[in-house]
Amino acid sequence: MKQLNAIFEGLGSAILLTTRAFATLPSAPRIIKRVVEQVFYGGYGSLPIISILSFFIGAVLALQSGISLQNFGAKQLIGTLVGESLVRELGPVMVAILLAGRVGSATTAELASMKVYQEVDALVTMNIPPERFLVLPRLLAVLLYMPVLTIIAIVIGWLGGAVICNYVTFIGVEPAQYFQSMKQFLTTHKMVDGLVKSEIFGFCVILIACNTGLRTRGGPREIGHAVTRAVVFALITILVLDYFITKAQA
Amino acid sequence: MNHSQMTARVGLFFIIGLALIWVTFEALHNGRFEKRKGYTVVAPFSTLKELKPGDDVRLAGVKVGSVETTRLAEGRAEAVLLINQGIKIPLDSTGVISMAGLIGTNYVSFDIGHPSAGTVPEGGTVRTKDAADLNTIMSDLGSLGKDFKNALGQIGGALGNGPDGQPGLFQKLDRLVSENSGKISTTLGNLEDITTKIKSGEGTIGKLVNDPSAYNELNATLAEIRGAATEAKTFVANAQGIVDQVKSGKGTIGALVYDEEAGNNIKIVSKNLRDLSEKLNNPNSSFGQLITSDSLVRDAQSTLRKVDRAVDGMSDQGPITAVGVVANALF
Repeated sequence: MKQLNAIFEGLGSAILLTTRAFATLPSAPRIIKRVVEQVFYGGYGSLPIISILSFFIGAVLALQSGISLQNFGAKQLIGTLVGESLVRELGPVMVAILLAGRVGSATTAELASMKVYQEVDALVTMNIPPERFLVLPRLLAVLLYMPVLTIIAIVIGWLGGAVICNYVTFIGVEPAQYFQSMKQFLTTHKMVDGLVKSEIFGFCVILIACNTGLRTRGGPREIGHAVTRAVVFALITILVLDYFITKAQA
Repeated sequence: MNHSQMTARVGLFFIIGLALIWVTFEALHNGRFEKRKGYTVVAPFSTLKELKPGDDVRLAGVKVGSVETTRLAEGRAEAVLLINQGIKIPLDSTGVISMAGLIGTNYVSFDIGHPSAGTVPEGGTVRTKDAADLNTIMSDLGSLGKDFKNALGQIGGALGNGPDGQPGLFQKLDRLVSENSGKISTTLGNLEDITTKIKSGEGTIGKLVNDPSAYNELNATLAEIRGAATEAKTFVANAQGIVDQVKSGKGTIGALVYDEEAGNNIKIVSKNLRDLSEKLNNPNSSFGQLITSDSLVRDAQSTLRKVDRAVDGMSDQGPITAVGVVANALF
């Protein structure tokens, strides 16, 4: 009962945090510098790891598909399988999980530290709403860089699959054929679905991270607990939301 | 890292992202960023199968546009086709929904048509026909397989044991062979003898097969038979002509057969001949007596002898008579 109450409390505080943050949206021009910083650390900084991860996800996907599909002579569909999987599912989900691990944890740790060491209280004392100064730049930044990160991840994943198809002997699918089969079934509608999904995931991850950080009470030990809690809750939220969003988009 | 470097990298990050988004949407072809040029035509079908917006439109195999949208209108399914600018679809060109592969996408395929027949105007309706799709073909194949299975079952039933325990064809054949193995062996032996003789040129068939002169003679005989047949044919044709003439009443026989008056005349003649013969046979009549009585012959012979003697007497008195006649004339 206590845990259920904690979940509802967290959900309610997240909604309130979002409301308060977006209530300060008219003052957004004053926080552009902070938005750019967040885009740099969250988006640009995540680019290398997301590129490596996406390349190998695409490569493994192509390899597994090739092993399975060659048994019934449908290797020409590897492009379709890799393309659709990355666009609709793996691209948004993997980027969101990486975001939760890399940016979400850092955000929670930073905000929890500020809360524990009363920096947040200092901001309030100085009449600087922490929602405007700490939360809104992160939310705006994630809404800006999440589609970009996702499309980069998707395209690099496609390239990883193409490399595998071209250079792994037993698959032997030409890149032209790989991309042609991908193009046959892939539509912009599916691409937009994937990007919308990634936006929702990114927003939720950062909101959970900010909310968990700002709700931290106690000493330094609580900072670690808060980070763990934020990441776990973000991962669960991503996967649960993924089911419902996919069902809604189907 | 100062703020300007950070801003530059963020800018680069967004430029790369936006470029990738644009390229991806362009590559997927039916992206909203693409400015489309061309005109639309409507293609009605009874079913659009798996046709969807973005699928190709091909004229004689060449891509000339794409499916813009699909809709239901006037109790039929319609595909609105976006045709590239500069491409004209002939009025007599017929479109069908074809499959790019067994599990591939569909596309609308037009045959080349004749440009002289005119072209479909913008917003016009193109000619279409429904082609059998894979499901229909598979359904037909399923029925065919069922029929084939039934036929095989019937053949199997005929060959194997019947449901009532009656022996099948093979068993009957086996019994027939086993019961008549002696006769079959004898027949085969005879056949072997015959073929040996034929091979060595013995007998008529052997000579015919092995001796070229026998073959030539047979050919000559056949030629003669053929000639005789030709002559017989000519004879039959002539006879047919005669029969035709007879049927048409021409000639004596024709008149006899078909002329009623001639028939009556013949009857009269026949009747007269019968009367004559009756009279001839009657011993009381003069002719009957002439024919049947010997006394009349003897009387005739006697009379003739008397006449002969009288003639001889007259020849002796001839000159005296002549003088008397002359004297009478003069005096």
